Amino acid sequence: MPWTLPKLVPRSAPVILLILTLAAAVSFAGVGHLVARFTANQQARGRTLYAQGLADISAARFDDAIAAFRAALTCDPTNSQYQLSLARALRDSNDPRRLDEAESYLIALWQRTPQDAAVNLALARVAAHRGSIEDATRYYHNAMYGVWNSDPDANRSKARIELIQFLLKKSAPDKAESELMALATALPPDPAAQLQAAQLFAQAQDDAGALARYLEVLRLDPENPTALAGAGHAAYRSGNYVTAQRYLENAVKTNPEDADSRQLLATTDLILRTNPFHSHISDAERNRRISAAFAQAEKRLTECAQQIGVDLKTTTTPLASSLSTLQSRWTATQPDLARLRSPGETDLPDTLMDVVFQIELQTSAICGPPQGLDQALLLISQKREAASQ
Amino acid sequence: MSAPAPVPNSPASQPSVVRFRTTRRLFATLEGAFHEEVFFLILSVFIGIFSGLAVVCFRLAIDWTHLALLGPLPQTHTWRLFLVPGLAGLVVAALVLHLFPGIRGSGVNQTKAALYIFNGVIPFRTAVGKFICAAIAIGSGQSLGPEDPSLQIGASIASALGRWLKISREKLRLMAPVGAAAGLAAAFNAPISAVLFVIEEVIGRWSAGILGSVVLSAVSSVVIVRWFLGSEPLFRIPVTTFKRPTELVAYAVLGIVGGLASVVFAKSIGYLRPRLKALPRWTQYFQPALAGLLVGLIAFLGAPQIMGAGYDSMDQAMHGQFAWKMLAILALLKIIATTFSFVSGTPGGMFAPTLFIGAMLGGAVGDLERIFFPHLTGSTGTYVLVGMGVLFAGFLRVPMTSVFMVLEVSGNYEIIVPVIVANTFSYLISRSLQPVPIFDLLTRQDGLILPSLEESREEAILRVEDAMLPVPAIILNAQDYVDANARRVQDSPDSTFLVHPHPSGWNVITRDQLQRLFQEGKGELTLASVLPVQSLPSLYPDLPLDSALRYVNDYLLVPVVNRADFRKLEGIISRDSVFQKYGGKRTVSTN
Repeated sequence: MPWTLPKLVPRSAPVILLILTLAAAVSFAGVGHLVARFTANQQARGRTLYAQGLADISAARFDDAIAAFRAALTCDPTNSQYQLSLARALRDSNDPRRLDEAESYLIALWQRTPQDAAVNLALARVAAHRGSIEDATRYYHNAMYGVWNSDPDANRSKARIELIQFLLKKSAPDKAESELMALATALPPDPAAQLQAAQLFAQAQDDAGALARYLEVLRLDPENPTALAGAGHAAYRSGNYVTAQRYLENAVKTNPEDADSRQLLATTDLILRTNPFHSHISDAERNRRISAAFAQAEKRLTECAQQIGVDLKTTTTPLASSLSTLQSRWTATQPDLARLRSPGETDLPDTLMDVVFQIELQTSAICGPPQGLDQALLLISQKREAASQ
Repeated sequence: MSAPAPVPNSPASQPSVVRFRTTRRLFATLEGAFHEEVFFLILSVFIGIFSGLAVVCFRLAIDWTHLALLGPLPQTHTWRLFLVPGLAGLVVAALVLHLFPGIRGSGVNQTKAALYIFNGVIPFRTAVGKFICAAIAIGSGQSLGPEDPSLQIGASIASALGRWLKISREKLRLMAPVGAAAGLAAAFNAPISAVLFVIEEVIGRWSAGILGSVVLSAVSSVVIVRWFLGSEPLFRIPVTTFKRPTELVAYAVLGIVGGLASVVFAKSIGYLRPRLKALPRWTQYFQPALAGLLVGLIAFLGAPQIMGAGYDSMDQAMHGQFAWKMLAILALLKIIATTFSFVSGTPGGMFAPTLFIGAMLGGAVGDLERIFFPHLTGSTGTYVLVGMGVLFAGFLRVPMTSVFMVLEVSGNYEIIVPVIVANTFSYLISRSLQPVPIFDLLTRQDGLILPSLEESREEAILRVEDAMLPVPAIILNAQDYVDANARRVQDSPDSTFLVHPHPSGWNVITRDQLQRLFQEGKGELTLASVLPVQSLPSLYPDLPLDSALRYVNDYLLVPVVNRADFRKLEGIISRDSVFQKYGGKRTVSTN
């Protein structure tokens, strides 16, 4: 057929556009209805698959869970909960290759809702998996100050505790300690939470902080064996042996099977029995303790020399020279023991014990950690040194 | 008792008359505003809307078919996975052979043919058939994509609308590419790439006249799709990086591998398609089914990723979910599966499979390179994205679209240099080993010859400067006397002379005219005073030589002047010089 299509008559243009507008509106409504129905069906299917994925997660079947969450997402691609769950499953599946995908889901969610604490926490965990202190700290902080759907205080504490554990694991005790300070101020009066904080303080080697938290636990739960032992250990490490003895005794009483505390109690007792600088002992007792320590130091020196096969009379090797110097110092100081009872010799105990401490420190470095009285003397020396500093 | 009816022209009827007149005036104003160009632009928006709505329905249909036939969570090693594509292939074959002939393949060629051969006519039946058959084929897992069918559906809707509105033939021809852009943009959720693809592949030439309509329809269709299906991108783009320029070598290697893979893919299709078409007609009932069985078998044996468009798998590849060996295997299997799905005549597109193959190949090459050169900083996601562009450039041979597609999909301009480098290598290798682009090859296999942008890009364009003769030795001054000018030309072998302009314009005079003026006793007059007041048209050296053809029959000489100073003569053009440049043997005297 030859082409006879007439050129569009301009007069009809408004009418045509009106008809097209109406047709578009009707089609729009029809497609909208279709999409709504399809979407509703898909969402229902997605919920079923999501539930299946959650069940798989509970059973630690991560691969199945990932497949189910993926399928749920194909049914409802914009569902944040599905994306978050898939990201978590990918992250927790112990496959480093999946971290990238988990992160991309989470980043997409984060871009939509940067204040969402759950998303930030998940991102923080991904960063922790990667070992990135900076990113993990940032996202953990976002999670702490973000919006939680339920129980915000407890979740914030948990997030901070997780961050502290991560920092401790990554050997960043300074950062962990600053987080611990913040944690301590916001802890609820709950023995379990306080106990966990106390243990974290102890891990961060903040013994004073740990002791304070353990005491708080004991205020809430006086018979708590973990707190008793923890307080005893913290006090022991901080050189507060009287306090350590008190709590370790109670810990052993409360839990007789606590061998660590029992052993630490024995050492504490020994320290308290042998420390010549203890404030509540008589001069005679102090002198006796100094004499005993002096004798023990010589014994330790001899045993150490034998252990490493060194003759104290020779100075052929650096080790032998070091021990020999100590021996000479001990021998030179020994006559001063007799002057202990003399009045006015106020510096003499320090001078004598300084020789003892030097011997204990050096032999400890050369022959390994000591036991019994030598261990007690070494700890006393360390406490003394710390006090002097 | 009822109230008496108002008498015409009575005061009671005056308000309605006024309203009627106002409406008529409004309509008259509107009618005046709508000349055909404006109307066509507005129509493009409607084409975009209707195409967008159709593509939304098409995508729902594919999803629904997939769920109904394969279930939401396809498991490998199940008979369903093995059998469904084959059985669906039987249904599709029957529909194609009996109800919808002419919907085989991707639809890009058919749209181009509609533009250049069928005056823009694509039967609406094509849209319906493509919709149904492609949805069944892709939904059942045939290794094909929804983009090319969306393109054809959009073009078909536009064509139907144009015919219903009885628009001019000239405009009707343009309806198909406008609809094609809308359909592709909606399917891809990427309007820029769609516009570029339609220009590069469907229209086959840069045409400013249609660009506005194509852009409008593409944008409006994308708005519709995003309205209904959300603005989620096709892929979740991972962190993509490009740090050191030396790493471009790694991307160049990817380009080379991609180029070779493109050639293998294109040659496989080019070789198998005519041979399968030549088989007896009854075999066409079973070809899609056999292709489906092959796809099903691959999926059954453990690679269901190759089924359908495969966007989810591309997304996973982008996030490093597959080892390089698996990526390479998936690329190879996808080439095989898509080749058989396509050559069997199953309706469906090659865009998504091309992206899939490129993504897997990119990931494989990137991972392998990082094994040997661990210092390379590009992530797997970066290589996957670049790989997509590489196959696009090499297989579909649309270099500009390939670059913009990657940028549009990734939203990341940091990787533009690797994309350009890799795509260039892929394109050049593909072009040298497979001179005819895949769409042109398919068209020629169907017995049609359509224009190609790649061919026109390579055509040497003749310009005015190519036919330009040197500046003549004698140029007459219009302010000199006639006798002086006559003496100047006395010994010249030329018969025609340019006259220098004053105050503006160039002029021309022959030796005979000068002699005649002299004989008429006008030797004491200036040339300017006796020459007729007419100025020659002038040309610029960079103009196409075609533009000179308009003048050379009417003027003996045409001056070629400088664009910055029209008084500065660069050369001259004559009829002879133009025809000689075109290779014509005709010799025309300038006398």
